[in-house]
This record gives sequence, structure tokens and C-alpha cells, in this order.
Amino acid sequence: MNTPTRKGAGVRLVDIVKRYGQVVAVKKLSLDIAPGTLVTLLGPSGCGKTTLLRMVAGLETPSEGRIEIGGFDVTSLSARERNVSMVFQSYALFPHMSVEENVAYGLVSSGLNKTDAAARARRALETVGLAGYGLRLPSEMSGGQQQRVAVARALVLEPDVLLFDEPLSNLDARLRRSMREEIRALQQSLGLTAIYVTHDQSEALAVSDRIVVMRAAEIAQAGTPAELYDAPRDVFVATFMGEANHVCATLESVSGERGRVALGEARIDLPHRDLVPGPVDLVIRPEAIDLEAGEGAGLPGRVSKATFMGSHVEYHVDTALGDLFAVVPRTRPLFPAGSVVSVVLDAKGAILVRP
Amino acid sequence: MKRFDLTAVWWLAAALGFAVLPWHMAQEPLRLAEYFALVAADPDIASALAQAAFHGRPWFWPVAASLMAALPGIDARSPRAARARWLLAGGVAGLAAIVVQGWLVGVQGWRYPWLEEIFGVLDERQFGFGIGGTLAFAGCLLMASDGLALKGRFGGERFVSGAVAVLVASIAIFTVWPVLTLLSQIFTVPSDQTLLAATADRLFAPKIWTLACLTSRSNCGVAWNTLALALSTASLATLLGLAFALIVTRTGFRLKRPLRLLTVMPIITPPFVIGLGLILIFGRSGLVNQAASSWLGVELGRWIYGFNGVLLAQVFSFTPTAFLVLIGVVEGVSPTMEEATQTLRASEMRAFRTVTLPLMRPGLANAFLVVFIESIADFGNPVVLGGSFGVLSTEIFFAVVGAQADFGRSATLASILLVYALVAFFLQRRVVGRASYVSMSGKGDAGLPARLPPPVERAAFALALPWAALTVTVYALALAGGFVAVWGRDWTPTLSHFARAFSVDFGTGGIVWSGGAWNSFWTTIQLAGLAAPLTAGIGLLAAWVLARQRFAGRGALEFALMLSFCVPGTVIGVAYVLAYNVPPVEITGTAAILVACFVFRNMPVGVRSGLAAISQLDRSLDEASATLRASTGRTLARVVLPLLRPAIVTALVYSFVRAMTTVSAVIFLVSARHEMATVYIINRVINGDYGIAIAYSTVLIVLMMAAIGLIQLLVGRRRIGRRAAGGAHTLGARA
Amino acid sequence: MIRTFAALAAFAAVLPLSPAVAQGTLNLSCSVQVEWCQAVATSFQKSTGITVNMTQRGSGEALAQVRAEAQNPRTDVWFGGTGDPHLIAAEENLTVEYKSPNNAQLQAWAIRQYEISKGRSVGIYSGAIGFGFNKELLAKKNIPAPACWADILKPTYKGEIQIANPNSSGTAYVVIATLVQLMGEPKAFEYLAEMHKNVNAYARSGTGPIKAVARGETAVSLSFVHDAVTESNAGFPVGWATPCEGTGYEIGSMSIIKGARNMTQARRFYDWALTPEAQRLGFEAGGQLQMPSNKTAPLPPNAPDLSKMKLVEYDFVKYGQAAERRRLLAKWDAEIGSLPR
Repeated sequence: MNTPTRKGAGVRLVDIVKRYGQVVAVKKLSLDIAPGTLVTLLGPSGCGKTTLLRMVAGLETPSEGRIEIGGFDVTSLSARERNVSMVFQSYALFPHMSVEENVAYGLVSSGLNKTDAAARARRALETVGLAGYGLRLPSEMSGGQQQRVAVARALVLEPDVLLFDEPLSNLDARLRRSMREEIRALQQSLGLTAIYVTHDQSEALAVSDRIVVMRAAEIAQAGTPAELYDAPRDVFVATFMGEANHVCATLESVSGERGRVALGEARIDLPHRDLVPGPVDLVIRPEAIDLEAGEGAGLPGRVSKATFMGSHVEYHVDTALGDLFAVVPRTRPLFPAGSVVSVVLDAKGAILVRP
Repeated sequence: MKRFDLTAVWWLAAALGFAVLPWHMAQEPLRLAEYFALVAADPDIASALAQAAFHGRPWFWPVAASLMAALPGIDARSPRAARARWLLAGGVAGLAAIVVQGWLVGVQGWRYPWLEEIFGVLDERQFGFGIGGTLAFAGCLLMASDGLALKGRFGGERFVSGAVAVLVASIAIFTVWPVLTLLSQIFTVPSDQTLLAATADRLFAPKIWTLACLTSRSNCGVAWNTLALALSTASLATLLGLAFALIVTRTGFRLKRPLRLLTVMPIITPPFVIGLGLILIFGRSGLVNQAASSWLGVELGRWIYGFNGVLLAQVFSFTPTAFLVLIGVVEGVSPTMEEATQTLRASEMRAFRTVTLPLMRPGLANAFLVVFIESIADFGNPVVLGGSFGVLSTEIFFAVVGAQADFGRSATLASILLVYALVAFFLQRRVVGRASYVSMSGKGDAGLPARLPPPVERAAFALALPWAALTVTVYALALAGGFVAVWGRDWTPTLSHFARAFSVDFGTGGIVWSGGAWNSFWTTIQLAGLAAPLTAGIGLLAAWVLARQRFAGRGALEFALMLSFCVPGTVIGVAYVLAYNVPPVEITGTAAILVACFVFRNMPVGVRSGLAAISQLDRSLDEASATLRASTGRTLARVVLPLLRPAIVTALVYSFVRAMTTVSAVIFLVSARHEMATVYIINRVINGDYGIAIAYSTVLIVLMMAAIGLIQLLVGRRRIGRRAAGGAHTLGARA
Repeated sequence: MIRTFAALAAFAAVLPLSPAVAQGTLNLSCSVQVEWCQAVATSFQKSTGITVNMTQRGSGEALAQVRAEAQNPRTDVWFGGTGDPHLIAAEENLTVEYKSPNNAQLQAWAIRQYEISKGRSVGIYSGAIGFGFNKELLAKKNIPAPACWADILKPTYKGEIQIANPNSSGTAYVVIATLVQLMGEPKAFEYLAEMHKNVNAYARSGTGPIKAVARGETAVSLSFVHDAVTESNAGFPVGWATPCEGTGYEIGSMSIIKGARNMTQARRFYDWALTPEAQRLGFEAGGQLQMPSNKTAPLPPNAPDLSKMKLVEYDFVKYGQAAERRRLLAKWDAEIGSLPR
């Protein structure tokens, strides 16, 4: 596992449709995944992301369309004929086999002899920090350890594509954080192509090269984490990618890249993002809002709730635009609930989207 | 990708069967050299190719053409789509050609007169398929299924498509066809009646449907009798089975092991022993009656004959079946779930009622269904204890063998039984519903099985212990018959019955098996030993396919699998004789017909217990194995089977034991060369020679116990790391 | 796991099982008592060298099998069992004509069976219908043993009589046919309705009632008297009597199956089975007390001698026909079977 492996293979989905009887789980969807990148499928439950992943794995057959891995059409190949491995949400560790047998299982299936397979399994366990645990049964390990075993079992096969189906959903927050970093580090150091399904945006932002946001069996938007965060296509993507205030505004005029936006009484200058003048939605990230004491130059408001979070403070502020949610660094002055404040917007954190 | 795959083997097998091996079943045993039948002077033992080329039997050429058509498909380097086309076309055409020629040309030339009109009189004949025909059929079948898999059906899995093909073909041949053959007898007409009148007479006879017993003291129709009996038996047996299962898994009862053994006893008992034992206790001259009349001066009379007695005997016989179905489920209910209920402030009783019991619901429904069907198909108990009380299975038997000798009537009654079974089957599906009961997942963690709430524990003991005591008494009395001079009359101890049945002499040529029972004894062990692994293997494969694969016609396959279980043995026996006495499948009088009968009659229990166990296995375990490059076969062998050990034991034990104790089906199928122990025993009982019958039964019981022990030892227990034996793990993530 | 299956299969395969191959074989379906059947098979094998494959079956089962196998028979000869199913088989063209040279030595009733069946069947023994009773139980209850049909109707026998259901039992059918011939049809059904009050159960099989008698489950049964003798020989306190008004009887018969694969051997057996040597076996091997059909065969000691019994003129032609049988059974169902208990 220490020797760098070849880069993973690219994955192409062409016009994929999946129907279960009358129900359409995936609507005519196309997607290109570059070799060696980690792509996250993000979306609320029931949006079709897991179905899509299982079709790449070969566990489901698409009703229509084509799947290519490394340039080969694998649509009619079974799971074991594709060079992919998967980490399951439930881990799916075989309860009657030891940890080492679990990890060596795929190697032996691929035709490796048992001694070599066991040696490589031990190395893989070392990679995930579980050296010496090989003889235990899965039931004798903690959740985090079981998760690592599942990852080791998938990694040891050096697959073209590594698939993760909500791999961290059964772990506690702290473990989740460190595990996702480990997964990302492993993926990058090994140059693997990975597809990662989750409904947790912070996890998606942390591990992905690209994120595909899905909604109701379709792709809502795909792009790098920064693109999705800074330039969401609509309110759904904006709110799914992180906390956001959503207010109605009017685009009054455009000139060049910029446009003039009427926000109540105030006028601000923002990139118009190819919108035409008329009513628009404005998405304001909470960290783009700053509060100043008293009635300053900004939008007047009144703090309705203040929550101390350690590194920062979360405020709810009543304004003419409605309730605004703000996240202000601890380094700024504190305002107790009831304080009268002036709300200042940082234009970098305000994004115009289609209504 | 590999250059060579199994498809080529299928093609070669088919070609070998077609061109080299004798196509038909030989009437006399063949010598080794005669298996090479590319050229043979006698057309009856020549290969199909030789028959077509040298013996003027052109009906084999289409088979040859089909094989040639499939040939391009075996090259693994060709594109998948093209291979799929050739294999599918060649395989299906080959199957059709084989079946059609076998069906149309029989032992007396053309099978149908209209063929004679078209082609003229055929002065040829052919017997049933032999090794060549069977191999060619199997080869074509698997090529066709490979073709389907290559087309992307069954998820592209050849193993799955092959398994489905083999299951469908064997069910069609060994269950559906004989049953349809028999049911077609409904439409045979006595010479003095019209078809319509005869069919209507049979279907609506008051003897079947009258409800007279509700208003007077006369008998109700057999259809109602059967229904009332089956519902009562199924309810009581399920209840008792549950009580035993709960005691064994969830109490600290010290006599668990003997209790467990006791629940298995009735299953390994040859038929009639329970019935005779009950008569000895509760009969008119039985112990209870004699005690009552001498101590209390009360004549209890003949209450044991009729509904009461049959119900009692059936509950004796089928409680173990319910127990065996339930024990796996009760063991599989996750302790964590019960622990969860306790943390949710539920009382033990509420936890049991709202969580444990509902989680066992699929098991309870399965047990009820299995017992219901066993009861409607049971023959031995009603025939011994029924008196004037008739049920469908006995009526079917007597309609065939009795003074009426009426196949049409028996077929009509059999169709009513089938309707019952259908209804039971669909009801069970409704009850179990779509709720998921995944209880053992890939996420290992542990917990302790909850103790039973005290009222439930008391109830379980109150039900189970008296029953256990009664069982012991019945057995002690019944089996004593083998060791006394005249059972029920002259209680002088003797071993003469054993000597007559199992004596062994040492002659000049070594051991001489001189006892009368040896022949049937060895045959029975051999056939049961052959049938058990086949039954368990096919049954569990079927369960896995049904539980894990989605394909068109899955529901129909599931029903077809249950079909032979629904049909009483007598009917299956007659149906087999009717269907297999003539080509193309001509196996009457061979050991094959007995093995086939055992396998396809007993497989449903393997399927049921397999289904119940697999429904508790998280599907992602299979999927994980598939994504880890394991072939489907390897997934089954390394992941599924080890986790299904309890179900395997059930299936093996059940099929072995049933093969040794079945009587109603095999009465028609035994031949002089292949006599079964049960038939030998029944003939003794019929002649009133109870001593030797019971002595033989005792030997069989001991033998079966040894076999069960051996099976448990060989298969072993599943190892999944639990704190206390009995329970296994936690909730599925994707419920 | 696979190894387990393989081990079981291998275990099963090594067990001793080797059928002897002989130059000639005979497949015999035998519907008399097992010991008798075995003696018949071994004696014939000894005297001729022909291997006999014998299967013992009740006559109903044997007929069912012969019918099912009609297109491709496996059985060559069907030996024993009530005459009726043999007549049905003859009527349905399932058996073939054969005139044995030994026919000359047979009793008149045996030849009648031959004539009725148009040469397709012949009588080999005969047994009468009568009463079987449990001597101990009768003594205990202080009831006299029945001697005449009229006795059976007496109230002392209330709940003590058992007879089989004629729908399923040939024996019971013979009883009904006997009564019809003895009393005329209307009187016979009045008699049956009256007797119904004393009957405790209509058993499913013909030998069921006599077994109930043996075990003390009922006091009296209507059975073939030789079945009563079988139970008595097994050690039970069973006695028998034939009705003083006269009684019916069966003609145990033998037929060769149409399309028999071993026709030569079948005929040899047929001839042999009609010899006195063969007919002695019923008593000598089986302890059975039926009357042999060969005039020179000795009557077993204590056997009910049909020639000394009062027998009805049993019309086998009429009562052996399928249509007449169905009519009588339907009438029994309507008038007797549906009566309240």
C-alpha cells in the first residue's frame, strides 16, 4: 500500500435513467468524473444519489443509458467484473470472519494466494492505523475501528474507482471529522478516483474535488466546492451548501459584469451573474454580515437572539428585510439580545440567484 | 477478461450428450464400453447423432442444428451482444428440439393420431431420456441462461441466471408437470356421463361441501373438515412451537437440551407410531379409559376417534416443524432492539408485546403456513384416528385406491387442496407484508437476549411441560411395543422382533444379512442420504434467489416451489406414476423417481427456513462481497452459507428425516428393487404385526438421531462473536 | 459446507446395493398378506430359476398402479386381492386373456371368475364375509357373540359395531352387495339404516374394523373372516362367525397385465400359482384360512369351508360393474352415510 499506485480511472455516466416500476429514481443524468478526483454526490434523502452510486458499483442495472469506467462500457457487467470497491453505510463486515479475513477477502476472490493476501491485508490495516487488530471479530471493535476496516477492505484492492455510501453516518462528530480527513488523505496519496455519497454538506466541502448536488432524481448543480458555495445556481443549492439568509430583491440595472440591486431602501453593487433586471433572490452568507453598535450606516436592526459558540457568536437580527442570521467572529464586540445594531453586508458574501 | 469460460463447458457437455453418450435410458444396465455410443448396433442405446445418421431417426437433426447455432457464442473474445444472441438462440432452440421430439415420439411411435395422419405410421419407438439426453438438455439450458446473463439480465450474473434456469426447469419437470397431469384427470369422464355433468358432480358434491354438522350430528363435508382441522392444528402447533422456542432460547430452564430433543422426536418418528401410541393411552381400552372406568366408574368412550384425536396427533406431529421454523427466528431477534425498548421505559411485558413478538411475525406466519399445509396434506394421522371423520387427503387416497377407483374424483379433491394452499400462501404474504425485519447486519455489535416477562415465561412452561410429559408417555408406550411379545396385550419382554427384522448370520462368504428388514433398510439410508444434500442445496439456493434477486416471474417461481408441499403425498405419488411412466421422462421403478419425490416434496421446508433466515441477513453483506470481486458462488459459499448454518441444519435434517419417514407418496413409487423402510413398516402394521413394525421404527429413530448429530457436527455453528449463545445482532442501518 | 454435502453423498453411495441380474425376471404385484407374498415369490423362484421382483400392495393400490401404468406397464402379474378390482381391470382392458391348462383342476367359483372376466382373470382362493369379535370385551360386557345378521340389530350391540365405509373399502361394498342379494334392495337398505344406530364408526379401510376389534376399541366388526384369523394368530382375543342366514364372499383373483414385458414368465407363474403346491402356501407360510381354488389343494385345518357355509348366490357380473357399483354407493351415501349419528 505504500507504493504509489496508478491513477484511478475516469467514470462517465451517459443519459442514465433508473426506474422502479412507475417510480423514477434517476432522470436522464449525465456526469463525467476525471481520474484521480473525489466527487461527492450530495443531496437530501431520496434524491437518487445512492441509486446512482449503486449503478456505478454494478449492484443495480440502469434502465437506460451507459456507464463507462476507464473508457470501457461496463453497463452490462456485474459488480465483480468491474474494478470498483465500495464502503457501505452499514460497513457490511462479514460477522463470522476475523478483521484480517475480511480485508483479505477481496484479494483471495481476485485469485491471490492466502499468504500473500494476508500479508497485504495486514499492511492495509496498518495504513488505516489498525495494526495488530487482525485476529479480532468485527463485533469486538468500536464503530470507528469497524469503519476503518471497511475502508481498508475496499482500498486493498486498489480499485479503479472507490465508492463510499455515507460511510461516516454511524460515527460521532469528532470521529467523523478525523475519518473524513483520513479518507481524503488516502485518496489523494493513492491517486484514486472516488465517488462519495453523503447528505452532510460540511463533509462534502471537506473531502471533495467536485460536488454534485442532486435534487429529485436530477443534478441540481455540479462544480468545485468553492463554486457551489460562492456561485450557487439557485436557492436550493445555496441553502444546501451551507447556512444562508435568503431575501427578495430587485435587480435594477446592469452594466458590464456588475448590477445595481435594490434591497429595501438600500442599493448595493453586485455581480449580476447573467440575470436580467427584475425581481431576484439574494442569498447572504451569515459570515458576510457584520454588526456595528448603534444606528450606523448599515441596515438598522435589533438583536433577537445571541448564541455564544466559542470561536464565534451566532446572532438573529430583526430587520426591515426580515430575520437575518449572522455569524460574527469572537474578536468583534459582543451584543446581548435586545441591542440595537447596524447591519453591514460584505458584498463578497452576497450572491444573486434566479428567483 | 478471461479467454475461456464455462459456457464452452456447457456446449461440450451438450455435444457429448448428443454425439457420444447413449441418448435414451437403457432397459438393461449398460457395460462401460457401451457408454461410448457414437456407433451402436442397437438404436435404443446409440447416441442421438448415431440414431439420426445410421438408424433413420431424423427427428434428432434439429437438436444438432441448434448446437451448431450456439457454437459461435462460446468464444469469450467475441462481443458480448453477439455471444448473447447466439447462445440464447441456440440454447432455446436446442431445448425446444429436445422436448418436442421426446414428447412426440413415444414407446409406440407417434404420440398423437394426427401426427400419424400427416407423416404416416411410424414404425419406430423411443424410450425415456438417458444420460445423453439429460446432459444435452442441461447443456442447452445453461447456454441459454448464459446468453440471458450476457444480455445483461439478472444483473449480468451468470450464476444467478443459471440458478434460476435450473430451478425453473426442475420445478417444471418434477412438480408442475406431474400435478397438471393429475389435475387433467378431472376431465376424464365415466362412460355413462357427459363431461359437464361429471365435472359438476365432482366439484359440487355434498360430501365435499355440506355443512350438516352445524345443524345435526351428521358429518360435515370433507372440505370444511379439512379447513377446521388445519386451522386448529396450525394455531395450536404454532403456539406450542413458540413456547418451546422461547423456553430454549430465553429462559434459564435447566432441561433445555432434553426438551429440545423431545420436540424433535415426533419428526423422526415413522408414521402410525404416534397414532397407535395415542390409541394405547386414550383409546377405548387405553390406559386413561381403563383408569377412569375402574377408579371413577366413568366410561370415556371413543372420543379419540374423529376430529379430537386427529387434532391431537397432528399437533404432536407438527409442533416440531413449527419449532424448527421458529427457533431460527427467535434466535435472530436482535437483543439490542430489546435493550432499546428497556431504555425506552417499556416494561418487560410491553417490550415483548410491542417489539419482540412483532419482530417474530415473519417466523410465526411462516410456521403457521407450513403447519397449515402439513395438516391439510397429512395422511397418516387421519387414517389411523379419523374414524368416520374424513379429510381431503384421505378422501383422495380412497378415491384412488378404494372401491371407487376414481382418478377424476381424486383430482377434483386435490384441486380443492391446492386452492387452500394458495389461499394460505397469499395470506401469509399479506401478513408478513413489506415491513423489513433485518436483524443481523454487517455492523457487528453485541447484546444479551432479554429474559422473558414472567407471565409469558409461566405461560410458556404451562403449555410446554405437560405437553412434553405427554410426549414422553406416548413414546414410552409406543416404543415398548418393540420389546414385548404382543403390543398392548402380552407384555412379556422379548427381543424376537428385532431378531426377525435384523438378524445377521456369518456364512462361508462372510456376513449374510438374513433379517427381513435389511434390504429396505439399506435402500432407505442410501436414498435418504442422497436426497438430503440435494434437497438442502436446491432449497437454500432457491431461497437465496428468491430473497436476493429481482426478476420477472419471481412470485410464480416461489409459488411453484411451494406447490409440491401443498399436494398430499398420495396425490404426488399417483401424479409421479402417471407422468413418469412414459417417455420422455421415464423413471418409474428406478431409484431416481424416489429421490426426485423426496427432493421436490421436502424442498419447500428448506426454502421456507432459508427465506426466514436470509431475511435477517443484511443485503449489503452480499453486495460487499460482490464489489470485492467475489463470484456469486464464492459469495454464497463464504458469506451467505456460513451465516445460514442453522437454516442448513434445518434443511438437511428435515429432508433426511422426511425421506426416511414419508409413506403416502412412496407407496406408489417403491418397486421390488427399491423398497423403503416405511412401506415395509406399513405392511407390517396392516397385517397386525405391530412388534416388528415398532422394532423397525425404533431402529430408524436411533439411526435418525445419529444422523442428526452427525449433521450438526459437520455443519457446525455460526461464529459471529456474541456474549451469550442464542442471540445475534443489531438493527440494520437500512431498514 | 460443500464438503459436508459431498461427504453425505459419498456415504450414501458406498452402501451395499446390488441387484442380481438373472436370465429371466417376473414383476409381481401381490395383494395378499406379506408372508404369503414372500413365500409365493421365493417358491416360484426356487422351482423355476426366474427372478421374482415382488411388491406387496393392497388391491386398490394395485389397481391404481396398473391403471396409471396402462401405457407402459411395469407389472407382469397381479396376484391376489378381491375379485372386483380384477373385474374392473378386465372391464377397462388393462389385463389380457389367458387360459391355463390347470383351469381344469379348479373349483366352479374360480372358473366363474374366469368366465365373467372373459378369460382375463381367475380365482385363486375364496373368503367369506362374517363377524369378527373381541371375545374378552364381549365377556366383560356380557354380550353374546353375534351369529346371524338379525343379531346385529339388537340394542345390546349399540355402539359396538364397526364396518368400513363402502366408498373407500371393497370389503364393505361386498357386505352391502351381499345384503342386497340376500334381502332384496329395499329391505337391505332398511337393514343398513337400522344397523346404523349400532355402528360407532365407518372406518376408512376394509381391515380397519377388525383391527379395532383386536385392540378392544370396538366389540364387533363386519369383515372377511380370514382377516379375523390373522389378528387371532397375532395373539389377540379375536373370534369369528359367519351369519346363519347366509353370507357373501370374495373370489381372490389373479390376472396378467396387458402389455407385460415378461409374458412367458408371467404365464409360467400363472400356471404354477394354480397348482396345489402353490396354493398350500397361503396357510403354510401365511397362516391364512382362505379356501384354495384348486380342488386337490387341502383345505387348511379349521378353515371356514365355503362349501359347508350358507352362501348367497353372489352375482359378480352385476355387482362388479362400475355403473351398478356407483349407483349403490350413491344410494348408500344418500340414505345411510348422511344419517345423523
